[in-house]
Amino acid sequence: MMPTINPSGELVLLDLVTHRRGKVRVGDIVIVRSPEKPTKVVAKRVLGLEGDSVSFLTQPAISTEIETVVVPKGHVWVQGDNIYDSRDSRTFGPVPYGLINGRVLLRVWPPERCGFIEHNVPLQQVASGEMEQNAISD
Amino acid sequence: MGSWKYLWQFTKSSIIGGVIGLTISDRYLTITPVRGISMHPTFANSHTNFPGSLKGDIVVVEKFCLDKYSFSHGDVVVFKLPSDHKKQYVKRIIGLPGEWIQVPQSSEVIKVPLGHCWVEGDNSDWSLDSRSFGPIPLGLIGGRATFIIWPPQRISKVESKIPEGRVASHHISLQ
Repeated sequence: MMPTINPSGELVLLDLVTHRRGKVRVGDIVIVRSPEKPTKVVAKRVLGLEGDSVSFLTQPAISTEIETVVVPKGHVWVQGDNIYDSRDSRTFGPVPYGLINGRVLLRVWPPERCGFIEHNVPLQQVASGEMEQNAISD
Repeated sequence: MGSWKYLWQFTKSSIIGGVIGLTISDRYLTITPVRGISMHPTFANSHTNFPGSLKGDIVVVEKFCLDKYSFSHGDVVVFKLPSDHKKQYVKRIIGLPGEWIQVPQSSEVIKVPLGHCWVEGDNSDWSLDSRSFGPIPLGLIGGRATFIIWPPQRISKVESKIPEGRVASHHISLQ
């Protein structure tokens, strides 16, 4: 999730209400139980809700090939902010909404980075076509 | 002033009891009603339609298995529907990650992906399960149904068994 969350680890405050009310929006960072390994939870950014079409670079490091998918009913598309090194919906596909366990609200540690988490979609992802429209229209 | 003191004591103990109860229900054990006929005959669906009467069975769901997500074949689990997180279903685990499953009523054999499981209802004619929505992520599972506690005449343990007619997975992989 670099640069939003440092790889050395940060403490964040979770909001456990929003996802239960079904109010998760595009751009939120959520804690998701990994569909590949249920004992693991991962933090990813929501880039598409059910019915949205999401475009992404399949191999950002070596090519500019773009793939577009429509997120199925009851699912969300999640991606790490560091698109070069993240296992996310690009590898395991859209995840069921029910796997969301919370929304990251605040960064509380380290103190100099304390504050609200940026809600916008980082620039490096905006570079990929339609995602730009998704990010801005929301 | 005795009644105020009593009232305060009562409020305090209700709040503490509530918090303890919610924690237990969230982490260890909870009870949930089961409706519908998809798990017949394991869970009954009563046909009484009196207002206020409880339809179906009430089961105890244990959540200790979520610690390591260790399940075995035949476990009856409660999970959120992949296409709608507000709906909870109860089904039996037929296949675990990495196993080969023969899809009933078709010759297709698929491999259950890592971190997923294949669930089916006991009443295969009337069940919406993995045969229609495919394998589900284990993370959607909310617990394992262990006991039926209501109605009283049906109090029993929920047996963990593999329904007849389902071939054990390793046989298929040999074919």
